[in-house]
Amino acid sequence: MQVYLPIAEMSVDALLLLGIGFGVGWLSGLFGVGGGFLLTPLLILIGIPAPVAVGSGANQTLGASVSGLIAQWRRGNVDMRMGFVLIIGGFFGSLAGVQLFAWLRRAGQVDLAVAIFYVVVLGSVGALMVRESLTAILRRKRARPARLHEHLWMHGLPFKMRFRKSRLYISVIPPLGIGFAIGVLSAIMGVGGGFMLVPAMIYLLGMPTAVVIGTSLFQVVFVTANVTFLQAIQVGSVDIVLTLLLLAGGVAGAQFGAAMGTKLRGEEMRALLGALVLAVALSLLWDLLRVPEALFVIGPVP
Amino acid sequence: MRRWLGLLLLLPALLAAPRMALAQATAVAPPSLSVELSTRRIEVTTAFSGAEILVFGATERLIGPLGDEVLVLVTGPETAMMVREKTNVLGFWINGDAARFNRVPSYWALASTRPVPAMLDRVERADLRLALDQLPLVQLGSQGAEFRQALAGLQQEAGLWVDRERPIEVSGGRLFHARLPLPATVAHGIYQVQVMLVRDRRVVARQELRLDVVRTGSAAWVADIARNQPVLYGIACIVMAGLAGWFGSVVFRRN
Repeated sequence: MQVYLPIAEMSVDALLLLGIGFGVGWLSGLFGVGGGFLLTPLLILIGIPAPVAVGSGANQTLGASVSGLIAQWRRGNVDMRMGFVLIIGGFFGSLAGVQLFAWLRRAGQVDLAVAIFYVVVLGSVGALMVRESLTAILRRKRARPARLHEHLWMHGLPFKMRFRKSRLYISVIPPLGIGFAIGVLSAIMGVGGGFMLVPAMIYLLGMPTAVVIGTSLFQVVFVTANVTFLQAIQVGSVDIVLTLLLLAGGVAGAQFGAAMGTKLRGEEMRALLGALVLAVALSLLWDLLRVPEALFVIGPVP
Repeated sequence: MRRWLGLLLLLPALLAAPRMALAQATAVAPPSLSVELSTRRIEVTTAFSGAEILVFGATERLIGPLGDEVLVLVTGPETAMMVREKTNVLGFWINGDAARFNRVPSYWALASTRPVPAMLDRVERADLRLALDQLPLVQLGSQGAEFRQALAGLQQEAGLWVDRERPIEVSGGRLFHARLPLPATVAHGIYQVQVMLVRDRRVVARQELRLDVVRTGSAAWVADIARNQPVLYGIACIVMAGLAGWFGSVVFRRN
């Protein structure tokens, strides 16, 4: 069934969009990531113009994250206090990120910079997660009790705060810094940043996996709302028809994913998410390295 | 009685009227070419998946190599486009040189009763720009014919430039019609449909019709709001996505 997208100015198969939405929404509910890092490349792959893919991808991620967030909220898995600290950091980070993006654009080669960012960030995050979770799974097999969390030097910095849900009493500087870094990266990569936030909260802050997912979704909702708004007023590239079609599949998928997530162990879930992130990084790297099918590309004048 | 008399007096005049009209018609030469479109307006709705331009008409003389020949040229609104060349730097394929083209027709299609080179001389073809390589494009940035070739190749692949001459079908010797496909990705705006009558290797008559491709219904409504009220549109997108997410979590609740 073909449907015409008014902002993208093209028609696509509605069932294809529903399917993509469902798949990405399922992952979003399962892993607590928005899924933007998967959705945006997928939309570009089926021929949606890149600015529309980024803007509408952020908007769809918002809806899917709200759906996932409500599901996690019911289970009491959202650390509001941690979420707000991350959002404050993320707000300043995205302001800085927009400046960096503008500088990259002036220097030309913004496409290349974004592609390299994707490969480097996704590749290292994915590899680290796979390595860590495999070690954890092996350690569990050997039946050695693991510690609740590692105490890193940065947890002892000043301005300590109690995060009850996360069972942490640490300095606010690390979460603020993480929020800032995610804000910078998400402004450049056009994603919510959940896939980076989840490992950062687990490994750097030492939060329990169950709380990490809900809290990450909480932060992603705010980041994607901000991105949607900025894209709509600055670029005019948010296609609400595209968004709603993706969401129709996505919200269903997110609920199924969230239900399945409760059955998976933390290490296994991290290993799977790590493998997924790594796979996306490798396929993007392959795109940069292989001989392109068409040596020329056309596009509208920016 | 007097009324009847009046009518009787008028009778010769009444009888003469149609004859006079007939005489007038034969005095003016019949048009050598008359053309019409099946529709003057193509509506792009949310269910739009491409359309077809149907041009039909009649010629004065029989259509054929010895009589009249017909050419149909459709051009869409002009835009500007970038063509970028991929280059390999340290093993990575990145965007290299770029050329900007101004005045690019967003749609271009040609149909004719016979291959155009057989109908018209080279000079005349160039004058009328009856080939893709004769379009008056303005190339800025990187110069080089390969950019122009790439533009033509990619536009043809997208079905937006239709270069292979699509035959015009002729019925009854003088009636013709041509169907030109519009893909779903067509730009909206004013399209020019030019129909030319060729006789003895010269264009002797020409008719121009205007075709509007417009967004209507909810598609037009959404596009208008997004352009004219971006702040409102942005907020609406956020609210709608959030509501859809909430709705989904209620409908598909799994616990």
